[in-house]
Amino acid sequence: MQLIINGLVIGSIIALTAIGLSMIYKTLNFVNFAHGDFVAFAAYIALLTNVAFGMNLAVAFAVAILATVALGVVVEKLVWMPMRRKNATQTTLIIISIGLALVLRNILIFVWGGDTQSYNIPVRRGFDFFGAVITPNQILVIVTAFFLMFLLHYLLSRTKIGKAMRALSDNVDLARISGIDTDRVILRTWVIGLGLAAAGGVLYGLVTAIRPSMGWFLLLPMFAAVILGGIGNPYGTIAGGMVIGLSQELSTAVLPTEYKFAVSFIVMTIVLLIKPEGIFGWVR
Amino acid sequence: MMGLTGSAGCFDAILPYIVTILLISSIYAIFALGLNLEWGFTGLLNFGHVAFFAIGAYTTVLLNLWGCPLVLSIIAGVALAGFFGFLLGIPTLRLRVDYLAIVTIGFSEVLRFILLNEEWLTRGPFGVYGFERPFQDVIPYQHYNTFLLILYVAILVAIYASLERLMHSPWGRVLKSIREDESVPSALGKNVFWYKIQSLMLGSAIAGLAGVLLAFYLQYVSPATFKPIETFHAWIIIILGGTASNRGTIVGALILWTFFSGTKFISRLVPLESHQMGAFRMIVIGLLLMLLMMYKPEGIFGKKEELALSD
Repeated sequence: MQLIINGLVIGSIIALTAIGLSMIYKTLNFVNFAHGDFVAFAAYIALLTNVAFGMNLAVAFAVAILATVALGVVVEKLVWMPMRRKNATQTTLIIISIGLALVLRNILIFVWGGDTQSYNIPVRRGFDFFGAVITPNQILVIVTAFFLMFLLHYLLSRTKIGKAMRALSDNVDLARISGIDTDRVILRTWVIGLGLAAAGGVLYGLVTAIRPSMGWFLLLPMFAAVILGGIGNPYGTIAGGMVIGLSQELSTAVLPTEYKFAVSFIVMTIVLLIKPEGIFGWVR
Repeated sequence: MMGLTGSAGCFDAILPYIVTILLISSIYAIFALGLNLEWGFTGLLNFGHVAFFAIGAYTTVLLNLWGCPLVLSIIAGVALAGFFGFLLGIPTLRLRVDYLAIVTIGFSEVLRFILLNEEWLTRGPFGVYGFERPFQDVIPYQHYNTFLLILYVAILVAIYASLERLMHSPWGRVLKSIREDESVPSALGKNVFWYKIQSLMLGSAIAGLAGVLLAFYLQYVSPATFKPIETFHAWIIIILGGTASNRGTIVGALILWTFFSGTKFISRLVPLESHQMGAFRMIVIGLLLMLLMMYKPEGIFGKKEELALSD
């Protein structure tokens, strides 16, 4: 039971952060290796707001999302948009993204050092829940994550922006000739994707230690969730994230905890071998 | 050293530095030549090249410690690195190019976890030392690095020459055509998947050999020797030197390590803590990778025409 609760918590964080990775992957046709480091960046901005400036965590949450999205917009304008204009190949973009990942992570190390840190919030006792312990922080993570996912669902299915985003991720050329301003929609995809990633990063900081490599180690589970759910399919990604989170935690019943990370690698490799379009590819 | 003064003394002090830079450069040149075969000539995105570096090094030194003759250990290390290239290629090389990148980088991290945690096998974070080095009984210790340098440069030249020959063979031309446009060689009846696997295997085996050479030089291997950043050192080397240029790769390795030893001297002058200096180096590497790919993808020494199929 405890493992299932832990798995749901981690799973909702993976799901939340992986949605952006999946959307960008499909829309811009490249896998953004810097995505995890945006997640870590958000956690550090929240840490800065919360600990150094003494704001409460709700403010820190908002500041972190704004700052991360702003950074993402700057990178889009300085790097991705010019590269699209040059018709850069997919491999060029991937290599640039890994360079960006190195830069971001090491800026975090440069400024804050490599040690683990945590938010300045009161430690509250956990509740007893069918023989397992669930902490208020864990409840907060699950509730916030599901609220944001619901918001995304509303955005994608009910609003014009959402429809344009889905059209673009289906077929860029078709979207363009139907009169969609692709650059603007791409920018919004970044904003929403990185906003969700930032929210996930702040929440992740609630249940784990904050350290510069936290995003890096989330990257592989996120990839696994994206591939499992079918690239560009937000609902599949959410399901994939949950599956990965649960299987990571459940694996600790039989494997040493150090190998949690390897579980997503194994799941991903198996999916690539038998059903590379993703298990949840049919959802949409 | 004691009795010497003036320029001779100075030269004696600098010489070991130069030997060290050349040694590391030649090891990394070999390491990067393996990646250049995969990326430069075949277009494969391998982000976990360091894993094969580690497999070569660990296999060789562990087998040797268990009593296996050195030559056999080296062969086993190189072969195992190639075999893992084969294994990783199977699920990924039929699919989009980015799957190989994701799976290889994941593999290199999982492997590092195994090296860290399976202490019965790898001695965990303490690392492995006390293994045999080639001709260690014959070569006096104070000349050993000079001997290694000569040996490594000879190996580097041999690998360079074989790769150049391979790339001008029909096999190499198929690889280049895969890089340019996969559908052309497959329309001509070539088994593109199998050629890619071969390229990945050979590149990984070369990385394995480089790992063995690194172990002999360091006399010590540990999981910390094989962090993901080593992969990107190889990437920087290739892109600096000009993608798909074996000569450029060797020059790139020299530039990178000369730059690194330069920053070591500078680090004594600037008031930064050691973790900041390390982070700063990585930021430079990352920025360099981004800027080169954005503005000069053909590399500093490469020619733009060589990016396309020319010979």
